[in-house]
Amino acid sequence: MGRYVARRLLLAIPVMIGASFLIFAMVYALPGDPIRALGGDRPLSPGVVAELRAQYNLNDPLVVQYGKYVGNLLQGDLGTDFRGRQVIDTISQRLPVTAQLTLVAILFEAVIGIIAGVLAGIRRNGFLDNLVLVSSTLIVSIPILVLAFVAQYVFGLQLGLFPISGLGEGWYSFLLPGLVLASGSLAYVARLTRTSVAENMRADYVRTARAKGLPNRTVVVRHTLRNSLIPVVTFIGADIGNLMGGAIVTESVFNLPGVGRAIFDSVRQQEGAVVVGIVTLMVFFFIFFNLVVDVLYAVLDPRIRYD
Amino acid sequence: MKFSKRNSSLVATAVAAALLMTACGGSDEEGSGEGEAAEQAGGTFSMYIGQPENPLVPGNTNETEGGQVLDSLFTGLVQYDAETNEAVFSGVAASIESDDKQTWTVTLNEGWTFHDGTDVTAQSFVDAWNYTAYSPNAQGNSYFFANVAGYGDLQAETDDNDVVIAPPVAEQMSGLRVVDDLTFEVELTSPYAQWPTTVGYTAFFPLPEAFFADPEGFGEQPIGNGPFQADEPFVPDEGITLTKYEEYAGDEPANADSVKYVVYAEQETAYTDLQGGQVDIMDTLPPDAIASAPDEFGDRYIETAQGDITSLGFPTYDQRFADPNVRKAFSMAIDRQAISDAIFNGTRTPATSFISPVVKGHRDDACEVCELNVEEANSLLDEAGFDRSQPVDLWFNAGAGHEGWMEAVGNQIRENLDVEFQLRGDLQQSEFLPLKDAKGMTGPFRDAWVMDYPVAENFLGPLYSSAALPPAGSNYTFYSNPEFDALLVEGNSASNDEDAIAAYQAAEDILLEDFPSAPLFYRLNQGAHSENVENVIIDAFGRIDAAAVRVVG
Amino acid sequence: MTDQQQADRRHDEVEAGTTTGLAAPSVDVTDARQNSLWSDAWRDLKRNRLFWIGAVLGVLFLLMATFPSVFARGADPRACNLANSKQKPSGEHWFGFDQQGCDYLANVVFGARNSLIIGALAVLVILVLGVIVGAVSGFFGGVIDSLLSRVTDIFYALPLVLGALVILRTGSLGRGVVAVAIALAAFGWMTAMRLVRSQVIAVKSSDYVAAARAMGASNGRILVRHILPNAVAPVLVYATITVGVLIAAEATLTFLGVGLQRPAISWGLQIDAGQSLLRTAPHLVFFPSIILTLTVMAFIMMGDALRDALDPRQRS
Repeated sequence: MGRYVARRLLLAIPVMIGASFLIFAMVYALPGDPIRALGGDRPLSPGVVAELRAQYNLNDPLVVQYGKYVGNLLQGDLGTDFRGRQVIDTISQRLPVTAQLTLVAILFEAVIGIIAGVLAGIRRNGFLDNLVLVSSTLIVSIPILVLAFVAQYVFGLQLGLFPISGLGEGWYSFLLPGLVLASGSLAYVARLTRTSVAENMRADYVRTARAKGLPNRTVVVRHTLRNSLIPVVTFIGADIGNLMGGAIVTESVFNLPGVGRAIFDSVRQQEGAVVVGIVTLMVFFFIFFNLVVDVLYAVLDPRIRYD
Repeated sequence: MKFSKRNSSLVATAVAAALLMTACGGSDEEGSGEGEAAEQAGGTFSMYIGQPENPLVPGNTNETEGGQVLDSLFTGLVQYDAETNEAVFSGVAASIESDDKQTWTVTLNEGWTFHDGTDVTAQSFVDAWNYTAYSPNAQGNSYFFANVAGYGDLQAETDDNDVVIAPPVAEQMSGLRVVDDLTFEVELTSPYAQWPTTVGYTAFFPLPEAFFADPEGFGEQPIGNGPFQADEPFVPDEGITLTKYEEYAGDEPANADSVKYVVYAEQETAYTDLQGGQVDIMDTLPPDAIASAPDEFGDRYIETAQGDITSLGFPTYDQRFADPNVRKAFSMAIDRQAISDAIFNGTRTPATSFISPVVKGHRDDACEVCELNVEEANSLLDEAGFDRSQPVDLWFNAGAGHEGWMEAVGNQIRENLDVEFQLRGDLQQSEFLPLKDAKGMTGPFRDAWVMDYPVAENFLGPLYSSAALPPAGSNYTFYSNPEFDALLVEGNSASNDEDAIAAYQAAEDILLEDFPSAPLFYRLNQGAHSENVENVIIDAFGRIDAAAVRVVG
Repeated sequence: MTDQQQADRRHDEVEAGTTTGLAAPSVDVTDARQNSLWSDAWRDLKRNRLFWIGAVLGVLFLLMATFPSVFARGADPRACNLANSKQKPSGEHWFGFDQQGCDYLANVVFGARNSLIIGALAVLVILVLGVIVGAVSGFFGGVIDSLLSRVTDIFYALPLVLGALVILRTGSLGRGVVAVAIALAAFGWMTAMRLVRSQVIAVKSSDYVAAARAMGASNGRILVRHILPNAVAPVLVYATITVGVLIAAEATLTFLGVGLQRPAISWGLQIDAGQSLLRTAPHLVFFPSIILTLTVMAFIMMGDALRDALDPRQRS
């Protein structure tokens, strides 16, 4: 297991460097002059422009800029944006918001998804099964963009049950965007659980348990569920990595100042240091949670051995 | 999602903001208790702002959010009357005089002090202005001093790729001379009679010695000379609380004990809080709320004309738009009122002059071709032999909410002139501005200007004079007419206001004849406040005089 | 397929938004069983109500994209009058008017064409990229495989919308229909690549491939004649669903201000323009959202049904 983890971590290094360089190169390729935009409609004096360009190494070629960036990164310096603000400050401000949103979304996805999946899987082709099947297709089909607006309009504006946007009401503010963000994965979890439960219900050991005359409840909870949930739990784990990357649309529509919004704003303002800093972090989370999940998989399911 | 300039910058947090607001609710109650004892003074109120884009340094703040905070922290040489928008000597300067309108003698009032107890002297101004102008300091407001003698010596020499090839030759402008503690002289490169009116702007605020020791720390917790002082640093994405400065030397000290500036990422969120009474003042309202806000807030709803103009600039360098009659035809094809009503909820006033109505010199009937006149427009276009088969490009910068009204303009051009249009709104400012500099506009483009100071000249010189041709200035139409330039010079050196205005209007007449751009709208700004405060005045810069606000109840 | 690959593919589906169904069908390798797979699948599909709903919707939107004026009841989407701005739906104008005072039904109907073209074009590019890279990687293995797999990992770690957002902002592709399709494909091909790669690896070691090799067939011939046909089933399922996913992604990009731009007609643009008027004219967001959702649903239902039909394990 230790060797496996070490190998995965080693493989992650080129991926992280590659991804951050890819995004760095694309931001570098963005046309226009970010310094020029600082002054708005009024021109900055040429001397000031030159000073700022030099400060942010904007006159260097791509590879040199990237080299300087990585050099600073290794010393723990993520650089500053064009307004002189530390990128690390921006990240530490935004990350908690995204983390809370992720947590709420994961909870929704786990609780609702698993319950729906189990109910559907116990009796295949029953009413509940069909209901879950159809509604999950429906939910998956609604683009998050649309879902966000519908939720905002119906529950926020018309019914007034939730805040329309922003973080004004603490955890409560995260419920609606969390549910919207979770919707796609929620439907998947429901289906995954359904299939997994249904397959296990036909497994030999369940038949044995039934034959021994154990009550249905015990069979489902003790025997089927435990085994069925292995793929579900690992999926949910991996999803944390995905969601930590920030949800650009959800955060935009609900005006949540998280990582996704930060990326969007920074791309627009060509804040290369911010974009690259956050994306590298995202990639890290992504790789990290995937690794955790794979290890978890082995721990949960004794049949799997990585070495 | 619209990302206007106002809320485009770093998005705010709000967990912390929420905590702040809870705290704010608490202090409100305390404030009201004290208020009864101290009669009309005292109390605390809160005000919405967007995230300031830069550290809170006067020389580097050229947007409204940081400007609002700095206005509470500093008092300049002159202040602007909220009603007439004229400069009044209620600030640090006792007088600003000149015989030739070129060399000005500034005399300061005695008794002004910074929040750290040091005196505000002539040196405080001269040092601050030199610092801002000196290009290696990279201050955004450097160009405000471009008309001071010796400014060029403080600019690094650069090549075409914006690389410094030689550092500046001086650190102090030769045109600034300290005479004694309370007097200094300012020599301009050419006469400018309006100069005393310009020095109320943020860029001209004085700086204490403490600034030069630690500019970075100052940017977080500025030390000013204004009615409020900062007891704690500004927290990005959250805001700052300012308390009343007891030693304030001005005539109008703060009425309230403290003001809390709360940063919001989105106006919508702030508006919801305003409705719920969690924030007291908003100096601007989200577009979607404007229809219902007057009824909802009654006399707590404030609408003020802004000192700005939005125009449709024409590329006078483009063959197709070289003929003034073509440009006039396009202007006459646009129904400004209909666009204002449908797209802006009526919050734009159709323009009738190149000069904003908030400044002296504006004429209500200056621009005849600003009226919708489809017949005349078509005959002008025919006369000019304009090729209607080719679509025209309509340019504007992306991501700032200009799509709607620009498309409406395009629809009217197609409807009224039978010319197809193509929207060119995919460039961000970072790309759009350099393209404008490089004569890259292939059709009419959005040209907008917010005044720096309330004088008619500010709507003419910076936009249409030969001296303002890019990259030095904002004359993006590349209009150049010596006659126009001469009249501006005449107005700038006029010995009294009447002569100056007459010259500026004569210059505007030439502009109306040559018509490098079509004036479209002046903005009306909407604000509102809670029942917790009164005497909330929004000026033509969109700023609120925080010192004047009174906490009631 | 290793567990690692299975885990990867689960992520793929989530990343691409195809969070439906389960692992791709495990396809058997002989020709005879291939045939029975397809005929069994068709028999299955015919009985699947969701498939028919999806198919009918799909055809409907295809017709709408081809003959928009018929569906627009003759109204011209570009004939606008500010006097009609934001009018509510009426018997005369079923969808009301937008802010510019244009007939909204006509605008929503004309939006179908761009959406479908982008969806189809992007999927095409994804398939070409995915099949080539995946086949080469899986077939040759070794260093080439490691290299291509790492490259895939790199693209994979960047979310689709983020990558497309940045690449469209660079402006190197322009801002038209083709540009958006290519941008989506550039950050969406990885799942197809992995699908093909794992299929190729699975089939490569089979007896009949060994037999073909023994008879002196060239690498290219083996790849094209024997291996790729086996990858068709999962790729087809994936492609169908992905059309829907990409149509939604186009709307998202356009909404974020980097996709199509006015005066092009697109659902994303309509939702974007309508959202700031949510309080005063909710119908401006409502109608394009409904149609967009139905379109996406049509493809996802078809793909879903196809997946069930092609997966022997799903059959009872």
